[in-house]
Amino acid sequence: MISKKGYLDMSFSTIFAIIAGAFILFLAIYGSTKLLSTEQQVSDAKIAEEIGILLNPIEISYETGKVSSFSLPAETRIDCGCKEEGIFGTQLIRVSQKSFGKWSETDVNNDFKNKYIFAEQPVEGKKFYLFSKPFEFPFKIADLTYLTSSEKKYCFFDAPEDIEEELSSLKQENIHIKKCAENDVVVCFEGGVGCDIRVSYEAGYIQKDKETIYFEGNALMYAGIFSDAEVYECQLKRIMKRVGVLAQLYRDKANFVSQKGCDSNLNEDLMRLINAGNNFKSSSEINIVTGIAEDIDDKNKFARCGLW
Amino acid sequence: MVKAQIKIQQMLFMLLAITLFFVLVGIFLLVLGSSGLKKSAIELQEKNALMLVTRLANSPEFSCEESFGSNKINCVDADKVIMLIQNSKKYDGFWGASNIIIRKIYPEIDGEIVCSLSNYPNCNIIKVYSENNDGADVSNFVTLCRKESSGGEYYDKCELAKMSVSYELR
Repeated sequence: MISKKGYLDMSFSTIFAIIAGAFILFLAIYGSTKLLSTEQQVSDAKIAEEIGILLNPIEISYETGKVSSFSLPAETRIDCGCKEEGIFGTQLIRVSQKSFGKWSETDVNNDFKNKYIFAEQPVEGKKFYLFSKPFEFPFKIADLTYLTSSEKKYCFFDAPEDIEEELSSLKQENIHIKKCAENDVVVCFEGGVGCDIRVSYEAGYIQKDKETIYFEGNALMYAGIFSDAEVYECQLKRIMKRVGVLAQLYRDKANFVSQKGCDSNLNEDLMRLINAGNNFKSSSEINIVTGIAEDIDDKNKFARCGLW
Repeated sequence: MVKAQIKIQQMLFMLLAITLFFVLVGIFLLVLGSSGLKKSAIELQEKNALMLVTRLANSPEFSCEESFGSNKINCVDADKVIMLIQNSKKYDGFWGASNIIIRKIYPEIDGEIVCSLSNYPNCNIIKVYSENNDGADVSNFVTLCRKESSGGEYYDKCELAKMSVSYELR
């Protein structure tokens, strides 16, 4: 007699157990993957916040010229974005790390209103360098921070003496002076061949990736060298917004102390600076604002009652 | 037939128990993770406040710069700060702290008098930014300088103060 049972001799309970088991296993794996990706996002956000906090001691003016570095265990991508909207604009920091050969996907941006980081978008590597310089225009506006990766080396060729001295004293490992290696980003001052970035120090502009950006003073020059043109323009607009707010603060102070007989006679000039700061459109206008700032600085030096 | 039904029921109960177990483990992990996250967020806020208080006095909104002689470290320009209070709305969320308070400690004034435009400088507490009263704080000693006038002449007056930065324990 031929058996009626098929060759897959399994009871209903076995089939049910296999299907349900597979479903539970799928749920467990799916759950752990989701948990892992959330943990990765949390870790990315934490690193971004830590970077923001790390900037605080670097930004203290008496620590200027000191390089700080930090290393991360995994290959990391730091995206320093910038948003113009608002009274001061926003500094965005987004971190993503490589795990199992894939960059973690994160849309968590940590934002800071009082920070100005100049960096390429994005900066990649395991070790990163930070240094900062105060920006005065004519009073102190902010500390500008420059973020670079150890994987990208910069070579300053034919730089003015004071720049060479300043950069040498930093002892930042990824900045070379004169002796350029093959893969270095070559920064030339007034001439040279095979340059990636050209700085016209006297004229106050930088040519980089077929774009021209304008600067005033060494702090903005480094900003232009170490960041993308887009980031530079956005951060400069944020800085000018702060110029406007601070000029308003000094104007209020001028009015207040003048009641005590402490006159500075800077009211009108500060108003010009407020307007120039608030209406600033791009770095090509920097000359105009510089003119006003220099004028105010001279007057403040000789004022009966200096405001700063 | 009845035996098979009982077996299926047993299996169902078993599977339910396993699923419930995994769900409970998941919830436990989530709670553990979120409490750790809250702890690390507070730690980050505390770290930010600590770092901030050391640099705040030297930031452009507070620092004396050279208006009281040479550039001083940890010197707060009281005349500028009293004007800053009038603009404090602009600085909402700017420093990432919930309160910034400067308390004059020497020379001492009886009681606690919060500074405003009408009573300045005869007061001892400058509330630069005050979001709420909760939270922990960190502080730093600063020199609080202002312009004073006497008999038509003005002079610089500097006093000792404590600057506190609070952060919320959320």
